[in-house]
Amino acid sequence: MTTPYLRIRNLTKRFGDFTALDDVSIDIHQGEFVCFLGPSGCGKTTLLRAISGLDIQTHGTVEQDGRDISALPPAQRDFGIVFQSYALFQNLTVARNIAYGLENRKQPKAAIRQRVQELLELIGLPDSGNKYPSQLSGGQQQRVALARALAVSPGLLLLDEPLSALDAKVRVYLRDEIKALQRRLGITTIMITHDQEEAISMADRIVVMRAGKIEQVGTPLEIYHQPASLFVAEFIGAMNLLPALLVQQGEIQLGQARLACKVNGFAPGTAVQAAVRPEDVVCTGRTNGHANSFHAEVQDLEFMGPFFWLSLGGGELGEHRLRAQLPSQQARELNLHPRDSTHFHIPAEHIRLFPDGYPHG
Amino acid sequence: MGIPMADTVVMTAPRVRPRLGRDEWLMGGGLLALALYLAVTLLVPLVIMLAKSVQDREGAFVGLSNFAHYFTNPALSGAIGNSLWVSVLATLIVIALAFGYAYALTRGCIPFKGFFRLVAMAPLLAPSLLSAIALIYLFGNQGALKDWLFGESIYGPIGIVMGSVFWTFPHALIILITALSTADARLYEASESLGASRWRTFTTVTLPGARYGLISATFVVFTLVITDFGVPKVIGGQFNMLATDIYKQVVGQQNFQMGAVVSLVLLLPAVVAFFVERWAQTRQSSAVSSRAVPYRPKPRSARDLVLLGLVSVVAAMILGILGMAAFASLAKLWPYNLSLTLSHYDFSAADGGSWASYGNSIRLALYTAFFGSMIVFAGAYLVEKARVAQPLRTATHLLALIPMAVPGMVLGLAYIFFFNAPGNPLNFLYGSMAILVLATIAHFYTVSHLTALTALKQLDPEFESVSASLKTPFYRTLWRVTTPMCLPAILDIAIYFFINAMTTVSAVVFLYSPNTTLASVAVLNMDDAGDTAPAAAMAMLIVLTAGAVRLLHTALSHWLHRRTQGWRRGG
Ligand SMILES: Nc1ncnc2c1ncn2[C@@H]1O[C@H](COP(=O)(O)OP(=O)(O)OP(=O)(O)O)[C@@H](O)[C@H]1O
Ligand SMILES: [Mg+2]
Repeated sequence: MTTPYLRIRNLTKRFGDFTALDDVSIDIHQGEFVCFLGPSGCGKTTLLRAISGLDIQTHGTVEQDGRDISALPPAQRDFGIVFQSYALFQNLTVARNIAYGLENRKQPKAAIRQRVQELLELIGLPDSGNKYPSQLSGGQQQRVALARALAVSPGLLLLDEPLSALDAKVRVYLRDEIKALQRRLGITTIMITHDQEEAISMADRIVVMRAGKIEQVGTPLEIYHQPASLFVAEFIGAMNLLPALLVQQGEIQLGQARLACKVNGFAPGTAVQAAVRPEDVVCTGRTNGHANSFHAEVQDLEFMGPFFWLSLGGGELGEHRLRAQLPSQQARELNLHPRDSTHFHIPAEHIRLFPDGYPHG
Repeated sequence: MGIPMADTVVMTAPRVRPRLGRDEWLMGGGLLALALYLAVTLLVPLVIMLAKSVQDREGAFVGLSNFAHYFTNPALSGAIGNSLWVSVLATLIVIALAFGYAYALTRGCIPFKGFFRLVAMAPLLAPSLLSAIALIYLFGNQGALKDWLFGESIYGPIGIVMGSVFWTFPHALIILITALSTADARLYEASESLGASRWRTFTTVTLPGARYGLISATFVVFTLVITDFGVPKVIGGQFNMLATDIYKQVVGQQNFQMGAVVSLVLLLPAVVAFFVERWAQTRQSSAVSSRAVPYRPKPRSARDLVLLGLVSVVAAMILGILGMAAFASLAKLWPYNLSLTLSHYDFSAADGGSWASYGNSIRLALYTAFFGSMIVFAGAYLVEKARVAQPLRTATHLLALIPMAVPGMVLGLAYIFFFNAPGNPLNFLYGSMAILVLATIAHFYTVSHLTALTALKQLDPEFESVSASLKTPFYRTLWRVTTPMCLPAILDIAIYFFINAMTTVSAVVFLYSPNTTLASVAVLNMDDAGDTAPAAAMAMLIVLTAGAVRLLHTALSHWLHRRTQGWRRGG
């Protein structure tokens, strides 16, 4: 494997007695798009500010492109940054904002003008150079902020919740826009978000954080399908969590149902939490023809357009409640109604076990 | 991939020591320079003054014997009681009047609000001495309205209270207008829908809403009155007050040590008032909810008539006092020959004043406005935005708050002790224009500093981060972005310095020299020498100049606003 572009080791940041970052280590590779994802206050911004040098860590090292930048002030590092608030210079035109970092580098005026025009075209605002930021919409302002950061061709792009001040439609649009731009330029990018959908759709890899620690690092698929902890399992996407008993290696008891599952290191007889995604619960109809299945009653049925939300209970499930996602078309074929009793199948590889005792698991 | 193995040395990992770049060095250096500046022009003189209070004339340590002498001598310590009750009385009157006035302007439906507001602010343009002089013309031995006092003399507490009320009124009014205009209409609607009477609404919604404003205004006015020197000096007669006692001890008896003792006594109420006021200020600003709906007054004829009556009477009194001073400066020989003349404006015959003093005052005001606004803004910028030396930033900020608690007389005396000390390398400043500029900047530092901080806090806190990420030196962003965006506030600070430098007496009265006599001090000295009409003329010159500068400021602000509305939000 090639050496990582950004190598973060044992980063700890304390504010007085409070530990905002606790021994964080990550590798980020050249050209990667990485999202820091986590609930509010988990230390995402703190980590980003340590990487940028705006708020230097208490302990630990940061290496960028083989250079130890751990203690350097921001002006001696190589990065561009975009904030949630845009932080555009209100009294300068859009063109002057974009040119801001270039003007300092003693480049000829014509070269600067050309580069600014290039960037304006890149962000799709070729004619807005003479406007002031306050004359642009929020989404346009955010793109200008992006262009300003990219103007000096930094090796690393840092984005702190760049989309969260925008309304939903603009967000989705800009999401694709930023991703495409990042691909085109091949610039190593770190983006903070607390929107999991945003992270899953944009990132090459996601860093899930919780209370100053890294909970899991992986591709969106890995994070989604192989959550490393109950926290990640619950935080990303919808998840059923059911108390179950491991009766023997590879089999759990859930109510009266016995289901095969993949087991990782629990002793038989242990109480566990079984995690199942709603879309992994498959309805097999009124007759049972499947292994690894159980019958239960459809207690409630909620139409969502492309699919139904089912609430399952009773039958072999007993007291347990399970939510399942059923494609609309299949629901139509089966002609499902509330109070119907049917069979459900869960593939063994989609049942994951976690130690009992959330949230500390 | 996944999580890399944690290194095992984590427990013993050394603390990261951030390296400093050029920006950081410059900002740290700037902060250090500012802290030194404030130490030299403020802290060290005050500390030396403290030391003087426990020394005898030869400079030997004598413990608390100066204080013992002071407190056992009723002729001296009697001033404490005098100062306290006069200040409390004047404060109560000002707060009552100013609250009614502010209420009328914010909650009443009365005509000519702009005019009434303008009139109420007029005393800000005058030295406090002016009201005392006008009062002497009105109620003095030869006064036009002498009979109104039923045989009581205006020279003494009555005159001091009346004069103080006049010049501190706008200070209270500004605070109370702010407090009352932050009212949340929703509270009034709720109160009305619950069927509360108007009086009940007033006592349960209006008063509590303005309570921190009231506390703040009360302590500001109290401090202004108790530390004021001009009014009691001119109209106090034999009535001893703390501020005039400092002057008597220092200028009259050359007893600097006793002057230091009285200064400390005066410092105490001022410091207490300062802390209460600061506390009230922070509560007031946090009480304003960002989602509040502004209150729109509805006409109510009976209430509005009463309010109109009140503001008319107060405005008439203010105009009466200003008009009296103007007339006094123009009347040939009050009260015998009332024909008009400009001869009092030719100060050559008067003792203690000249056009040169006026010229000096203008120079002082210009220097103070120019250097003061620069130092204050740069200082506030470093305190608010520097990424380095957090303890130094806090210390500097605290230093900048001190002047508000230090009466002008005390500062002036402290300057004598410090700059006139034979061994001090800064001794050459003594008697120069520069020391007057330094003293005036220090005297009015706090309000300017807080104004600048407020403006800076409104800017996006990440401007500096973006600038650093673009490898642009901080001073370039300060020059191209921060300063232009704060220009209105900088202009406000400059004008505040200018007008106060024109009107102040207390700090500079110990520090001027024959070459640097000032207009405001000339008013005092001419009045002292019996040249009351020229004193009134000089006071009017100050008012006219300050008024003209204020107009210029308004015009400039408008121009600035128009020029920059292209980029201002909603502009
Ligand atoms: N300057 C500071 N002083 C003290 N505590 C701080 C400071 N900055 C951050 N913290 C604390 O550190 C923790 C992490 O803050 P951080 O801003 O990194 O969270 P975040 O993950 O970015 O959250 P959000 O999604 O709300 O932006 C929070 O508990 C915060 O209160
Ligand atoms: Mg954050």
